[in-house]
Amino acid sequence: MNGRMGQVIVFACNWDGLSCVEAAAVAGLSYPASVKVVRVSCLSRLDQGLILKAFELGADGVMLVGCEAGECHFDTDPELVDREYEKVRQVLRLLGLGADRLALVRLPRGHGEEFATRVTEFAIEVERMQPALVRGQ
Amino acid sequence: MSSIEQEIRDTRASLCLDCGKCTVVCPVAQFDSSFNPRLIVQRRLGPDGSAGDDDSVWSCVSCYMCTERCNYHVRFPEFIQAMRSEALENGAELQCAHGGTMQALMHMMADGNVQQDRLGWLPQDVEVASGCGTVFFVGCAPYFDVVFSDLGVNTLEGVKGALRLLNRAGIPFDLLANERCCGRDLLLQGDREGFAALARANMEEFSRQGVKRVITGCPEGCHTMRVDYPRVLGAVGVEVLHVTEVIAPLVESGELRLGGMEKKVTYHDPCTLGRCLRVFDQPRQVLEGIAGVEVVEMEQSREKALCCGSSPWAFCGVVNRQIQEQRLAQAGATGAEVLVTACPKCQIHLKCAQRSGDGEGTGMEIQDLASLAAGSLD
Repeated sequence: MNGRMGQVIVFACNWDGLSCVEAAAVAGLSYPASVKVVRVSCLSRLDQGLILKAFELGADGVMLVGCEAGECHFDTDPELVDREYEKVRQVLRLLGLGADRLALVRLPRGHGEEFATRVTEFAIEVERMQPALVRGQ
Repeated sequence: MSSIEQEIRDTRASLCLDCGKCTVVCPVAQFDSSFNPRLIVQRRLGPDGSAGDDDSVWSCVSCYMCTERCNYHVRFPEFIQAMRSEALENGAELQCAHGGTMQALMHMMADGNVQQDRLGWLPQDVEVASGCGTVFFVGCAPYFDVVFSDLGVNTLEGVKGALRLLNRAGIPFDLLANERCCGRDLLLQGDREGFAALARANMEEFSRQGVKRVITGCPEGCHTMRVDYPRVLGAVGVEVLHVTEVIAPLVESGELRLGGMEKKVTYHDPCTLGRCLRVFDQPRQVLEGIAGVEVVEMEQSREKALCCGSSPWAFCGVVNRQIQEQRLAQAGATGAEVLVTACPKCQIHLKCAQRSGDGEGTGMEIQDLASLAAGSLD
């Protein structure tokens, strides 16, 4: 995270989320180089602290990519993620950074094209915003 | 002599007589026999003392019970702060509670680019006097109510109550749209750099707004700005008061008349407000000013009050929970309906313990003092 604008961290769950990232790679689809993908076992592994840590370290936008409703491999994802997602959006609003710096996307398995489209749109949106923090850059 | 060595010397730790009274009154030592303030001092200052490798320094809850009891006034919690600083410098990893949320927030708030949007909760009936030179320091309450929403905390109710009490008392105050966390938790956990960044950001904001007096609802903010800011930044030229210190004299003199409610309550002294700032009477005076309120004391209160069991959003574990459960049991044993406290962090920690416990006091209502007192106003 050195000096450029629009750094995006994607937290992808190990299952349907990551399958979309891999499908995009297999199909040779491109998305902005500002996007960095971090694999987690399930989106429920993420809590508000971990998501905020990404912003603290200089991310300008964070996207959570996980399984669609009812498809979670651990049956724990939807409720936990929605709760933490909402909390972080509220915290980002209080910090004056804007809630839209955090996005939650749920995709069916292997939908690489949709992932590439959604993450590109998000990266462009984040690029338009001011850098989140000076300190982390 | 390094600055840390000097700091350790300043805490008077070298005067420790090995009497062990600190350990006897220490709430952590009560549940964790391996934690022993006296021996931590001995290990660090003894001939084989080495810096930064004593894991037990992270267990201290900074409740100042040891300092209260120490005949030689060794400031053990400050000794611990220095030890933690030293440990972090030597590469120790902080075990953050709540996934590091509060640490991330504090570091982000220290950023010079942040322009917060933190006053959306302000009720329309509260009158704010812009540029009056007195500021009510809201603290982290807007963040607490989001971050700990699953615990059912409502620390902003305490803030709103404090503002309504000040309005009723005719004390003008302004609110700052971009105040930062006071930084106390970073200081307690040994993050000197992070603390200094927040302290400077707040003082610059005070200076821009011409602030001469700060009233806080949170004891942590009060202590930090009154005691720690001058220590770190030099003279700051701002008078800092806890809201109970402002309201209680007016209640006592009859200038501020509170309403009435039939309630039996018990008051939990926050360590920072009580033992650190010596504000014991004022909160009780405010409570007793509410007609119909009966205040009953817990087994441990005032100078001997038990801590809410947690400290700077780090190293929270089974011992902390045992302390919290003991405090709730003490509150429950009074037969009071409401456990009143004057610190948002105490509220968070005790509500957290209530959620997982099933002992005495777990069903009790926990309320902020200012919110309770303001609720009595007609």
